[in-house]
Amino acid sequence: MSAMTQSPPSTSRPSQRDAEAAPSSIGLRSMVGWLLQTVAIIAVLGFFVLPIVYLVAVSFKTQSEVATSIFFPSEPTLANWYAILGTFPIFGFLGNSAFAAIVSSLGTLLIAVPAVYAISRYNMGGNALPSLTLGIYMAPPIVSLLPLFFLLRATGILHTLGGLTFVYALMNVPVALWLLQGFMHRIPREIDQAAAMDGAGPIRTLVAVILPTMMPGIVATGIICAVLSYNEFLFAFFMTASETRTMPIALALFQGDQIVNFGQMAVASLIGILPIAIAILFFQRWLIGGLTAGAEK
Amino acid sequence: MTKAATSDTLASRLLLERSAAWLLAAPLVATLLIIGLYPGLYTLAAAFSKSTLGKPFQSFVGLSNYSFAMRGDFADALWRTVVFAIPSSLLQMLLGVAIALLLVRVSRFGSIWRALIFLPMMTPPVMIGIAWKLMLLPSGGLLNGALMHFGLISAPRSFLGEMPWALISIALADTWQWTPFVVLLAYAALRALPDDIRQAAYMDGAGKFRTFFQVQLPILMPALLGIFLIKLIISFKVFDLIFVLTTGGPGTGTTLASYAIFRTLLQNYDVGLAAAQVLLLVLLVTVLTLPLLRLHKRLSEVTEA
Repeated sequence: MSAMTQSPPSTSRPSQRDAEAAPSSIGLRSMVGWLLQTVAIIAVLGFFVLPIVYLVAVSFKTQSEVATSIFFPSEPTLANWYAILGTFPIFGFLGNSAFAAIVSSLGTLLIAVPAVYAISRYNMGGNALPSLTLGIYMAPPIVSLLPLFFLLRATGILHTLGGLTFVYALMNVPVALWLLQGFMHRIPREIDQAAAMDGAGPIRTLVAVILPTMMPGIVATGIICAVLSYNEFLFAFFMTASETRTMPIALALFQGDQIVNFGQMAVASLIGILPIAIAILFFQRWLIGGLTAGAEK
Repeated sequence: MTKAATSDTLASRLLLERSAAWLLAAPLVATLLIIGLYPGLYTLAAAFSKSTLGKPFQSFVGLSNYSFAMRGDFADALWRTVVFAIPSSLLQMLLGVAIALLLVRVSRFGSIWRALIFLPMMTPPVMIGIAWKLMLLPSGGLLNGALMHFGLISAPRSFLGEMPWALISIALADTWQWTPFVVLLAYAALRALPDDIRQAAYMDGAGKFRTFFQVQLPILMPALLGIFLIKLIISFKVFDLIFVLTTGGPGTGTTLASYAIFRTLLQNYDVGLAAAQVLLLVLLVTVLTLPLLRLHKRLSEVTEA
């Protein structure tokens, strides 16, 4: 993680620097290399921003211009934006999504953080707990859809936001555990041994020593779990109903409508992506650490 | 006597620690019971019974759900899932590693790169599907417009309405979504390589390509295999993109396993059959990933030794 978040050390590319200062034949080669590299970068960036930029472009098109394949609208209009903000209860769906995402993520952390500590430091469950967790992650989510659907129905919380949030909180535990393990392994055992010397028990060590040290990892894991919940579709499709629909469900049903207006669909999609884009802007450094921690351990 | 007292407090302290550790792990154990053991047993039982969404466990029917699942379209759906998952994952690995190699060399773009690279992998798949649907539309879609502009096609094509383009379109959107994930992990693995290895090879006169393929790649192999494994598992779960882009069509052309099970549930409310299909899918994923998992473990041991 540290390698990703710090600016790269300048010592890592002396060969390139040398090449630039070398005689002209090599200078030409490195010029061509630089040009190719720049073209490659622009192509890659272009590919990854294109769909989003196109959504923005379509959102400002008039209904008749959507059917032409001009990239940018010739007469930009706000009509689609007014229509969505005025008639489509988009903030209700956004609110549902935000609630499910944030609350479930906190729930996931509440389960996973103590567990990862117990597994790492007290070897709880030996190898069984980690491998069982991985096994659950490997299984396609549709496996647990039905049993959990019946569980929610039996307990009377089917089609409630609380029920969906409960399912999300549990469902993301395997991912959280996997990510948190990477952070946990980086904390030297001497730190909690020192706390134990001072007479602190496991729970006090966790709260007073481990939690503060792991905080960046916990935040990253929390954001990733919140995003996973925010994006989730299959469970929300079965476990919510009209009032409790989340953003992806509302949009998927909206776009399945035959008479749908593509410009309005683009607006609704962009509004749905906005919270994610904001989260990325604010938390990108932490997120990268979080995503690579599990792989690095 | 003092000795006995210390060992006594030590024993009680150990006991206290053990129970505290259990207390900390208890919520996880409960979670695994609810999302692991219970769904597993439930699915196993349902697969052997006649069960509907309204009324599960009506009667024991033996293996008939399985034989029905394998006779029908589901065997085709499983095969299509493999045809989709393996090539698209390989393509994303290739692209992802290439982009990561490019990234390692360019330091200036750091934070712009990072923000842009995150967007596809964190955008809700439903919205990704909508964006790609708009790009692939027959009338007014960006791709058709561009192809016609350059004279490559004379009339607009319905990419989502004909095979094999519909499946390729889903793979394209999936590649857009997941390549950044590969880039990120491959980039981290590349950065973790000791730089002096590369430089030593370079000094010995090995070119950039030879340095990569003969020196860096072998060391990276376990990490790359691990990334491929994760990506492959994710590919077997693809659902949302299909729902938005093609709803499984044309015909059953893009009805991959998860979507086929979803249909069994929604159209026939046949929980028993769906459970049997789920178990067949899990079996397929296990059979395909187990050898890779073994290989990954062996490679990691070799590199660490």
